Amino acid sequence: MEPKEIDWNELTAVIAKHEKEKWALIPLLQEVQETFGYVPPESIEPIAQALKMFPSQVQGVITFYAGFSLKPKGKYVLRVCRGTACHVKGSRNILRLMQNELGLEKGETSADYKFTLETVACLGACFVAPAMMVNRTYFGKLAPSKVSSLLAQYGKDKEEE
Amino acid sequence: MESITLSIDGKNITCSAGTSILNAAQELEIKIPTLCHHPDLKPVGACRLCLVEDEETGRIMASCVTPVAPKMSILTDTDRIKTHRRNIIRLMMAEHPESCVVCSKGNRCRLRQFAAQLGIGETNLYPMPNYKTLEQANPFIIRDLSKCILCGKCIRADHELVVVGAIDYNLRGFKSRPTTVHDRGLEQSNCTFCGTCLSMCPTGALSQNNKSYISTPALEALSVCGFCGVGCNLAMGYTANRIVEVNPSNQQDTVNGATLCVRGHFAHDFLNSGERLTQPLIRQDTADANNKIVPALDANNTMVPASWDEAIEVVADRLLKIKSENGPQSVAFLGSSKCTNEENYLFQKIARVLFNTNNVDNGGYVSGRPVMNLLDKRTDGLWRLSPLAWLEKAEAVFVLGADPGHSTPVVSYYLKRACKKGIPLVVADSRRTDLTDFSSAWLDLSTGNDLEPDYVALINGLAALLHEKKGHDDAYIKQFTEGFEQYSSGLASLKLKQVSRVTGIDANDLNATAELLQGKKIAFVIGSGILLQSCGMQAMEAVINLALMTGSLGFEGAGIHVLAKDNNQMGAQDMGAVPDALPGWQLLSNDSNRRRWEQLWQTEISAANGLNMVGMIEEAEKGNLKGLYIMGENPLCSLPQPDRVKKALQKLDFIVVQDILNTATVQIADVVLPGAAFAEKGGSFTNMEGRIQSFGPVVTPPGDARPDWEILGLLASKLGDAKHYVSLGHVRDEIRRLVPMYEDLDRHTHTAWITVDGRREGDKAVKTKTIISFSPVVSCKGEIKDELSDKDYAFTAIFGFVRYHFGGGTRTGYSNRKLKPDFKGEIELSPQDGKKLNINDQDTVKVSSRHGEIKRQIRLSRRLSPGQMFIPLAFNDNDAMNLIAMTQLGEPDSPGWKTCRVKVEKIEHQDT
Ligand code: SF4
Ligand code: SF4
Ligand code: SF4
Ligand code: FES
Ligand code: FES
Repeated sequence: MEPKEIDWNELTAVIAKHEKEKWALIPLLQEVQETFGYVPPESIEPIAQALKMFPSQVQGVITFYAGFSLKPKGKYVLRVCRGTACHVKGSRNILRLMQNELGLEKGETSADYKFTLETVACLGACFVAPAMMVNRTYFGKLAPSKVSSLLAQYGKDKEEE
Repeated sequence: MESITLSIDGKNITCSAGTSILNAAQELEIKIPTLCHHPDLKPVGACRLCLVEDEETGRIMASCVTPVAPKMSILTDTDRIKTHRRNIIRLMMAEHPESCVVCSKGNRCRLRQFAAQLGIGETNLYPMPNYKTLEQANPFIIRDLSKCILCGKCIRADHELVVVGAIDYNLRGFKSRPTTVHDRGLEQSNCTFCGTCLSMCPTGALSQNNKSYISTPALEALSVCGFCGVGCNLAMGYTANRIVEVNPSNQQDTVNGATLCVRGHFAHDFLNSGERLTQPLIRQDTADANNKIVPALDANNTMVPASWDEAIEVVADRLLKIKSENGPQSVAFLGSSKCTNEENYLFQKIARVLFNTNNVDNGGYVSGRPVMNLLDKRTDGLWRLSPLAWLEKAEAVFVLGADPGHSTPVVSYYLKRACKKGIPLVVADSRRTDLTDFSSAWLDLSTGNDLEPDYVALINGLAALLHEKKGHDDAYIKQFTEGFEQYSSGLASLKLKQVSRVTGIDANDLNATAELLQGKKIAFVIGSGILLQSCGMQAMEAVINLALMTGSLGFEGAGIHVLAKDNNQMGAQDMGAVPDALPGWQLLSNDSNRRRWEQLWQTEISAANGLNMVGMIEEAEKGNLKGLYIMGENPLCSLPQPDRVKKALQKLDFIVVQDILNTATVQIADVVLPGAAFAEKGGSFTNMEGRIQSFGPVVTPPGDARPDWEILGLLASKLGDAKHYVSLGHVRDEIRRLVPMYEDLDRHTHTAWITVDGRREGDKAVKTKTIISFSPVVSCKGEIKDELSDKDYAFTAIFGFVRYHFGGGTRTGYSNRKLKPDFKGEIELSPQDGKKLNINDQDTVKVSSRHGEIKRQIRLSRRLSPGQMFIPLAFNDNDAMNLIAMTQLGEPDSPGWKTCRVKVEKIEHQDT
């Protein structure tokens, strides 16, 4: 499955919404990211033009923040914490298992754009270490045995209905 | 402003609050090492090499970004600081690749220099080079970002100085690098290859792509760029009499500062071209006829080498003979807007004193001199003193028919910087350009109802609106002008609707623009869109009126800047290499001027104007002109209708061409005299601001070639001039003495300014007593009969330059690197027309006008409107000139040289 052509009307609408704001770039990018699931590279030039910035500057901001991605991501973005607390509690194994189950290296997205596997430095949930997030949902006190069922919950091995 | 006293390395200094410690130290001549600092760029404190410590507090700080504070006691070179600096350099070295050894930056690499100074041989750190792919697809700049130390100078230069924005930081941390959008090669970005970043880069991360020479040039000398009227100051690196590298010079207060453009930086290869002329040549039949030289026997009427004495003698004899047989009107002298002031002065003196003719012109004609001269006449030369730095101090800028991003790139940097400072920029053009993207208002003249954009109606329309809004400067009008009544009543009779109809600009947009300009002094920037168009004269009158009405002439931050295309266009005319004026812009028609020069030169000067460049061709056609001396021009390439020009010139009895390259014109010459390029001789150029810049030779001319002033000196002596111009100083003395406008030429420093009406650069306001009059409001005449639009010639071709290739293309044509590999002077067409005519990118088309035709490839461009076509000049021996009719510019019946009607046919597909 290819990521579909971006909807230019939608992009134009998002740009128009933020164009007049004072510090528009970050909120605009956030909304683009939310709307499309990533910041489509094709959107860099129109955004720059609207905000009277150089396209290279816009790209610089996008690539600086981990929160923005120029590549389309899966429907579910799995963020495994690799911070100190989680590390101590065995997050390395969690990550390994995830990699095996999904057949993805970190930073990769499955061919069907269902899953993206990422790591983060600390989710701020050290008290439930080892922790991870799926989109905006937290999961704590993970154990290797829980990995499969967690993934199954998000429809791993099932066809999208 | 508050001042602060502190001590640095034990010395006290008082400076204003906000000064950085680094700058304060500099004033005390204390050197602090820096990598990311540059005086023209905003400090960012990226490299931390400039660390210093405060003895009082023990604090360590980066001196380039820390402002001075009272009671600071700064030490710049303690052991503690040195350890830090050493560690910084060690870390940078550990990240550096081994190719350091063969780096073309060589000993100029700042990183290497500091490592040496700080005694770092081995870093004793685990090497972790950060390999990046080497990028060298473009012919100008090699990027090896594994050597990048992230000082950010390239990015800041690109954003702050040239305002292109091709590159910025990408990613962060260890992976961070300056990259283009989508991380593509520079040639696929909007980079203009100005090379400014390249000259700034402290390491070998950015280096020039020069296949023929890799290393540090042995020596460096200063010069002035010969490619356009900006006159950038250059530092030319040379090795064994060959120029191998060019950078902006680091002199203070130059016009270009730390910037250059692609031509100044990379197009000097022509100096080493195999097509350089290296010895005097005489056409064989000429030599025979003259009976003085016994030429080598050659059946093909070819050129035979001769000695300088022989060549000069033939030239003198033949020209004098023509003059004595046919009168002084039968000889003419075509000087060069690329040659120096000294040369043009001698050249016109030879014409006027030794041949008693005013038939002298220079190639500046092609760049719109007639329209420019209207400004001289109307403002008494007041406009001439116009520092480009004023653009960044303007209240508002109005750019008319100019595309400086391509024609005079450094001017576009000024304009874009002005824009970034929030100065309103209004652009009137029929084409989308670099500037329209930046402008506060773009008055798009592409939809007007005429062949040419109607600047006259536009300017008058805006003037009428401003007048209506009381946006005129009463005090100025009273003090410095006359004729306002008549002018303003003319304005009152204009109908906004009508203006809007002929210009194609919405009445609301006109109103908004007037509001933007209201109550402001305006800096005007005038380009070839006005200088070369058929209504150029009327448009210039309208500009002058608007300038007077808004009080914009004679003040810092306002004025009229005309983009002189050639490097010494202004100087050539100031030196009198024109048919209607004597040196110092003294009109022949003025009796007292003429008498003064008759006395000074001990000769008689005719009051009648001589032939201009086009007039020379016309008279040659008619057989009235018999002899022509051309210095440094290639009319066979630079004038319209090259076939016609060639036929005309071939009718001449005798033609001498003094040039540096084997041009088309050289090939029809009877005698060829090899001259020197600017880097091979001394002299001075006057740039578009009125700055007279003197320079000396960097290398020597190839072979037997000689500096042009020397050749003219030889000729003058041969012709019997009592003066012997054996050094440049002789010529300069004479100019300083006789031409008050040039009294400062090379007097105190190598940069002087022209003096107009007692005014010099640095005077903030007008001192003049001159009263300038308004001219009546006129409208642009209707359609020109030859250029009616009809079904057959449905397209409007607009001619212009692209930055890579320039002038007649003679010099850039011999520069190996000048072209982006994928750029062949494609004709641009709107995608809409492409679709309609089934023409795609890279299809070859035939474009024909009523005068001729050319074949080129097509590039579809959104920058054009339907019905328009943009044809880059200078490509393919400037073949585009075939399409234009050669007429007298600025005359009422001239259709101008900027546009013409054409039709287009596809002749082949890309894949056939
Ligand atoms: S490429 Fe050169 S100028 Fe640019 S950041 Fe790297 S080291 Fe500095
Ligand atoms: S060459 Fe000029 S335009 Fe290109 S990146 Fe460097 S500074 Fe920018
Ligand atoms: S702007 Fe003009 S003078 Fe300056 S480097 Fe370019 S061509 Fe030369
Ligand atoms: S270390 Fe994993 S949540 Fe903080
Ligand atoms: S020069 Fe001051 S931090 Fe780089």
